[in-house]
Amino acid sequence: MTVLSIHNLSKSYGKIKAVENLNLEVEKGQVMGILGPNGSGKTTTLGLILGILRPHSGSYTWFENTLGRNPRKKIGSILETPNFYPYLDADDNLEIVRRIKSSEKQSFDELLDLVKLTDRRKSKFSTYSLGMKQRLAIAATLIGDPEVLIFDEPTNGLDPEGISEVRRTLLDISKMGKTVIMASHILAEVEKICSHVAILKQGRLLATGPVGSILSNDITVEVASNDMVKLEQYLRSLPTLTALSTKDNHFECTVEEDTDVAELNRNALRNGITLTHLVSRKRRLEEEFLEITKNQ
Amino acid sequence: MTLINLLNLEYLKFRKNVIINLLFLFFVIFFPSTLFTSTQIKEVPDFLPGNFVFFEFPTVWDYMGYAGNWLVFFFLGVLAIYLVTTEVANKTMRQNIICGLTREKFFLSKYAVIVVLAIFATLYYTIITVAAGVYNAGSFSYDQAFSNDMAIPRFFLMSFSYLNFALFIAFLFRKSGLAVFFYLTYVLVIELILRWVVHYKIHESGLINYYPMNATEDLMPFPLFYFAEAIPNQTLPFSFLLSYGEAAMIASIYAVIFLIITYRLFMHRDI
Repeated sequence: MTVLSIHNLSKSYGKIKAVENLNLEVEKGQVMGILGPNGSGKTTTLGLILGILRPHSGSYTWFENTLGRNPRKKIGSILETPNFYPYLDADDNLEIVRRIKSSEKQSFDELLDLVKLTDRRKSKFSTYSLGMKQRLAIAATLIGDPEVLIFDEPTNGLDPEGISEVRRTLLDISKMGKTVIMASHILAEVEKICSHVAILKQGRLLATGPVGSILSNDITVEVASNDMVKLEQYLRSLPTLTALSTKDNHFECTVEEDTDVAELNRNALRNGITLTHLVSRKRRLEEEFLEITKNQ
Repeated sequence: MTLINLLNLEYLKFRKNVIINLLFLFFVIFFPSTLFTSTQIKEVPDFLPGNFVFFEFPTVWDYMGYAGNWLVFFFLGVLAIYLVTTEVANKTMRQNIICGLTREKFFLSKYAVIVVLAIFATLYYTIITVAAGVYNAGSFSYDQAFSNDMAIPRFFLMSFSYLNFALFIAFLFRKSGLAVFFYLTYVLVIELILRWVVHYKIHESGLINYYPMNATEDLMPFPLFYFAEAIPNQTLPFSFLLSYGEAAMIASIYAVIFLIITYRLFMHRDI
């Protein structure tokens, strides 16, 4: 089932095109990461599909229009910051969300336990730390057993402990089989959590697909030697080399997937180059992202 | 969500809000306390027979209505603005929509609250006024107590008109300070300037009374204005006050216009 279908969606603020002719589909069960640098249109896209921003053109449909005029009751979402009534406690704030979602009356014990807020459930929201606010927002998104969860920069502004807690909670949620749409500019986060990605830049969609298909099969090899000049000459002579860059004290080169790294080492030695550093790894999403956004 | 559910939701949102509670409390306390203030006025203008006009039927309806005119305009008007602007400031308006409340329902919930407030203010006005009149008369007679020239529906319409205008300003400006400032300034200063400085200079006619907040005020006017109307050889070529019928009609038309504009504004804007 297609959970979300976006057709030629556009939104401008004056002369600035925040989102331009965006087309995107999210299938049931996918964990879709919307990637892009700041100002690429991620939050605007989420605002549009959640009905708080009005598009200038284009359209979107939720759940293939099977849930009537108000499908948002089956969507749990945090957009930008956690937004609650500051003078109310966790229970009251969650109760407001429950009533809006017309969900069954429930105790919030389990939810507050999941986000580790049971001890502070009777404190006013205004007294919470940013991490606690974010965790309460995550709890709120789970009310009413939503089909889809939307998170916008869920770890923004959190300390390392908070980031780790929120990521763990998000991983738990994704394992529940829910469809998740997550906007982020933190690539490592998306790589760890998401099954699919959509890369945006200046409001335009540059690439989309499963994380594995976005990541090329090339290998990144880090090498260093006592004779860096000779090493560079050797690396540039490799027929499978696709990119070479200089890092602090080593070269980072991208080679085709069938390159035998052990053979590369042996050949270097035959050419009189002793490698002092050799690391071979798969390309990271960050490298692909930079490559894709650099060329557009 | 039914209307009752929407009202319950608003109650849950605001029952612990200090500013909302204070504004409501001030209205509840100050309204009857105007009666005690009236007892302190020993010297009344020559054309008044005595300060008992503040308490006896039917004039007690006019004096309490006029006191209510100010109190509804100020305390409940600011409360109505705050109902919207605090949701914008806390971003709970957008969160309500994200969570699944439709824009129509959000809009309806705010209007349901101001209708309830206007009904409450009207009932409170009726109870206080009847109690003051009966206490003064020493006995209760239905005919005597309620021969008040439709004061109760006039008071309701006046209250709704103020609160409706307050919501219009709140949805238009969205920021508490700016909205409250414009609301108070418009009613107390801007409309007077528009009527008596701009409009009157351009065209001297009774049309200067046909402004939204003037029509609203004339539903429960300052009672002494009627004595001024009775003084002959006035310089104005038209009546200083609208008749109750005219005021009711004009206030109703403006209320519908403001409601439609507010609805369209809210439905089409980004939140």
